[in-house]
Amino acid sequence: MTDTTTELEPVVTATDQSKPLTPRQAMVRRALRHKGLLFGSAVILAIVFIAVFAPFLTEHDPFKQSLLARMKPPVFMGGDENHVLGTDALGRDYWARLAYGARISLMIGLLAAVISGLIGSTMGIMAGYFGGRVDTVVTFLINVRLAMPVVLVALAVVALFGGSLMVVVSVLGLLLWDRFAVVLRSATMQVRKQEYVAAAEVLGASLPRILIKDILPNVMNHLIVIFTLEMAHAIILEAALSFLGLGVQPPTPSWGLMISEGKEMLLFEPWMITIPGIALFLLVLAINMMGDGIRDVTAPEGRN
Amino acid sequence: MNFKTLLASTAIAATATTGALAGKADDTLKMAFQRELESVDIYYNSAREGILLARALWDSLLYRDPVSGEYKGNLATEWTWVDDVTLELKLREGVTFHNGEPFNADDVVYTVNYVTNPDSNVKVVKNVSWMDHAEKVDDYTVRIILKAPFPPAEEFLAGPVVIYPNEYYEEVGPAGMALKPIGTGPYKMAELEPGKHYLLELNDNYFGGPKGKGSIGKIDIETIPDINTQVAELFNGELDYLWNVPADQTEKLDGLGKYNVENAQAMRIGYIAMDAAGSVDPEGPMTNKLVRQAIYHAIDRQAIVDALVKGSSIVVNSACAPIQFGCEQDLTSYDYDPEKAKALLAEAGYPDGFEIDFYAYRNRPYAEAMMGFLNEVGITTNFNYLKYAALREKRTKDEVAISFQTWGSYSLADASAITGEFFTGGVLDDAMDAEVIDWIKEADSTGDKEKRKGLYSKALKKIADEAYWVPLWTYNVNYVMSPDVAYTPTNDEIVRFFDISWN
Repeated sequence: MTDTTTELEPVVTATDQSKPLTPRQAMVRRALRHKGLLFGSAVILAIVFIAVFAPFLTEHDPFKQSLLARMKPPVFMGGDENHVLGTDALGRDYWARLAYGARISLMIGLLAAVISGLIGSTMGIMAGYFGGRVDTVVTFLINVRLAMPVVLVALAVVALFGGSLMVVVSVLGLLLWDRFAVVLRSATMQVRKQEYVAAAEVLGASLPRILIKDILPNVMNHLIVIFTLEMAHAIILEAALSFLGLGVQPPTPSWGLMISEGKEMLLFEPWMITIPGIALFLLVLAINMMGDGIRDVTAPEGRN
Repeated sequence: MNFKTLLASTAIAATATTGALAGKADDTLKMAFQRELESVDIYYNSAREGILLARALWDSLLYRDPVSGEYKGNLATEWTWVDDVTLELKLREGVTFHNGEPFNADDVVYTVNYVTNPDSNVKVVKNVSWMDHAEKVDDYTVRIILKAPFPPAEEFLAGPVVIYPNEYYEEVGPAGMALKPIGTGPYKMAELEPGKHYLLELNDNYFGGPKGKGSIGKIDIETIPDINTQVAELFNGELDYLWNVPADQTEKLDGLGKYNVENAQAMRIGYIAMDAAGSVDPEGPMTNKLVRQAIYHAIDRQAIVDALVKGSSIVVNSACAPIQFGCEQDLTSYDYDPEKAKALLAEAGYPDGFEIDFYAYRNRPYAEAMMGFLNEVGITTNFNYLKYAALREKRTKDEVAISFQTWGSYSLADASAITGEFFTGGVLDDAMDAEVIDWIKEADSTGDKEKRKGLYSKALKKIADEAYWVPLWTYNVNYVMSPDVAYTPTNDEIVRFFDISWN
């Protein structure tokens, strides 16, 4: 684990030795030089933009089927400009479904990561701060959770309760908290030993104040990295569940579902599977690169 | 390893691969099933795959020529009606089962009495429930006693009622039969991995009745659920025979010009089953006739046939296949009219539509298209796509209010094969209409053809008027074969392995 307190010290870079930078300036400079972070953030911003402004980016309704205009190829494969990315097996506009599908993927990723983040970080910080019996209980819960195969449990639960957006989000949120707990537990353990925590205790600060004002900010960069990781993880899992027919149900536009539906024509119309496949790949890659970038920028010693 | 040995081993490897490529060279026809067959025992499965295997492994007493429609003797050579409910059959002599057990009257009596016994719990009761029991007259003469006059008896005796070896079945039961099936048929099971792999071998001792002796030495069937994998295997020469190929893929394959592509009608029809009797939810929207009619009006069946089903399929308005006897065609039909559908929903008290779980087990794109149409008139659908066996069980437990179903009628060309299953008050009867039940039951046991026709007509007209079902379309089957394979498909969705030959 990295020692997070060091980021408070000014960092002197090789190119600019005349005047020491403030920590914030140094961080911004590192961020601007980090290609992965820039690429990741740019792609995510673009996808968020598409998701938010989907209705303005296409005049087509993602739910509107037209059986007479089925499987029209995308423009770059000889299709017409009315359907830039072609149409699916029911004649629904592929670009519209992709754009609206971005909302589903982002929403599932965000919500699942928020739920699991709340559960996992609470448990991790508690265990790390109090140690002793609390730690034993939390460690036991983490072990129990780690013993359960995520995909299998998710499949079983979805099969039992039926696949809907809320079920998928809740299942993923309730399953993906283990990494938050593990990482924040050890990070908190380190921070807990610092003098400023002891000082706060001596000054009579209340427990919530110590946890929120002294501990949380100093484990935040770990939290952000795990958050992005789990967000990508949740998006991939949703796509997998939808692909297996157990996730988000049609006609909801979901990238995993689009891949599943495109699979039927894999041999003859491969673009039907590659377009949502590339979108999913880009989104997950971008989230991971952004997460890595944030880790590198906020904790330079952890780099490589 | 020097260059020569490398060359030699490569050559050996190459020949080995060609050897593995099946086909004409080693007299093995390779084909695939898309779905896992639960049991090979034909009395304990209701899947199309099971019927295919059954026709190859076992024989029924009669045989219906698929082209002329004429009934011929198979395991029986002659049959006469002693009275309305007693059929006397003379059996073929000198026939043996695959395990050497001789075929005689005991086998017929045993099989009929076993399957008609309610304790045996056969899967499709309708196939056998018209018989009461069988009696042995002498070693090669039996009498089948019916519960009531049953006009389509010959059709059923030529189809699903196959004869099992009494001694063997008594010993191994359904579980043993499913693992090592023994029959009299033109093919015998050489290898079997339940649900995965079946290897059929030509039965050299086959008596050669109307089915003929079969010409291909081995038929190797593997379960490959994904159609793209099947097509890829066809490209590689690992499969010689594909059936039930979706319309889109068939068009593309036909366009390649390298394969034998055939399309034939099937007796199967698609329909939407709705909980009209309220056994799922007594207050549910499906119990309202106006809602059911709205659903009928909401779906553009012709568009789905034109765009997705294709082939030789047609839209049907009657709850049976048009080629079945008694399938009345002159009845109420509901054209595609979304505005009318919305008006009917409003009149029924659902001006903003409603939300409902929609179930299906096959043809996912068709189901999605139907849901698309339903959504347009305000009916929100939560889609549930299940395996056939799972959906059937859910239906029998009254948990499915609306579902997209199909029924192949066991390829029996008589309306009783579909109405008898779904409109006579059984577990899958969603209407529970006393009048309809009476008419169909009476028709099923009436000898007079015209009277039967009249009764089915009355029942089917009421089914249409009340919109108990939304009949959708007839199915068709696409067959894609390697150029080495010769087979003319018939209009009943049955692949007769013994009629396939090499070019």
